[in-house]
Amino acid sequence: MNARLLALLPAAIAINLVVGGLVNALGLPLYLDSIGTILATVLAGPAVGMLAGAIGQLLFGLINGYQWIPFGIIQVVIALLASVAAAQGGFRSMGRTVAWGLLTGLVAGALSSVISYVLFKGVTATGTTAVVTLLRQLGWSLPAAVTASSLALDLADKAVAFAVVGALVRSLPGRMMGRFPRAVRAVGR
Amino acid sequence: MTAAPGSFAARAHPFTPLVVTLCIAVVAIALPGPAAVLYLYAATLILVVLTGTGRAALRALVPLAPLWFFLVLLHGVLGDGEQTTVLGVALSRNGLTLAATQAARLGAIATASLALYTSFSPARFVDAVAERGWPFSMSYLVVATLLALPRFRARAASILEAQRSRGLRLRGSPLNRARAIGPITFPLLLGALAEVDERGFALETRAASGVTRRTALAPPPDTRMDRLTRWAAVAAAGSAVAWRVLG
Repeated sequence: MNARLLALLPAAIAINLVVGGLVNALGLPLYLDSIGTILATVLAGPAVGMLAGAIGQLLFGLINGYQWIPFGIIQVVIALLASVAAAQGGFRSMGRTVAWGLLTGLVAGALSSVISYVLFKGVTATGTTAVVTLLRQLGWSLPAAVTASSLALDLADKAVAFAVVGALVRSLPGRMMGRFPRAVRAVGR
Repeated sequence: MTAAPGSFAARAHPFTPLVVTLCIAVVAIALPGPAAVLYLYAATLILVVLTGTGRAALRALVPLAPLWFFLVLLHGVLGDGEQTTVLGVALSRNGLTLAATQAARLGAIATASLALYTSFSPARFVDAVAERGWPFSMSYLVVATLLALPRFRARAASILEAQRSRGLRLRGSPLNRARAIGPITFPLLLGALAEVDERGFALETRAASGVTRRTALAPPPDTRMDRLTRWAAVAAAGSAVAWRVLG
């Protein structure tokens, strides 16, 4: 692995772990814990994005408990979908970026609901579980409540995460873009 | 490293707590509940106290408390099936059993993980990886990220303060708050990207991407006790999985 990619990975992983805390200050039901994964994928390709996502999840587990590691598979899927989006010029405009984010949110939400239900019996992050509890109170079955809350939150979360990365990459100066040829193709320059 | 000085966690080879933690996670998932999982949680608590990382048991309560609360609420209070009354509240008997099993499972895993984090020494880990002849990039990624985290957190806090002092509103309708995402995340992301080049050059000059085997400056001793502990943990995890699969 070349030195620039080796330097990019810790930054992408740290972004994954820190941005969520930053957004907490806004009190929005978003995690934004995949911005580093998406950014690394757009700049350096799917392998770097998958590594950033998987190692980030391992370190998140080290700090907050290894029970969250199964969600690492979702980071890998996000990197794969972000790489397809980048190859198709999916970060060219805000509309395309959000559309790819929604598609990724749909897949991530479906996977997340399976992991949440099978391994965690529906109790995971506080925001998601609060929605599950509310839906159960309204008479929904546990699998339906877990699926609905995971899908709703992941759709919004991944749309915003893709939008943030898209806006950032489109605004990068040419000198910096020149070092990441994949990013040039992603924004269609 | 905040493990008690002289304790087993402070002296152990860096791979030993790592293997033990992963094995506890495997056993916790493999064991059927609730009694076996509760025993495992109790054993984990005793283990972290004996190895000098007892504070991790208390720190683990921070992420665990909301999970435990929602487990009781979702499965105990809102659960279906036969009911039992606890302190005047009707609770689902099956739901309570499920909640207790899952709570103990998460408790064991989170406590072991935080004990590992408490005892983790980046320098010793780098030396242990170098001594085995494994790629430098592997240890660099783990250590560089762990060391970058406090720096990024401090930067994120100062960005938040700076933007608020410039009049950024963090309250109001969800749409208004969503508009603040850009101003608080962009400076952090751009700063991180600007750092990449500088660090890339620094790594290049240190031959970080080279394939030559590195020599550890002070490799941590891998004692017989360490090896025995690791093999015992792997055997316990293997037995638990075999029991679950075959039993």
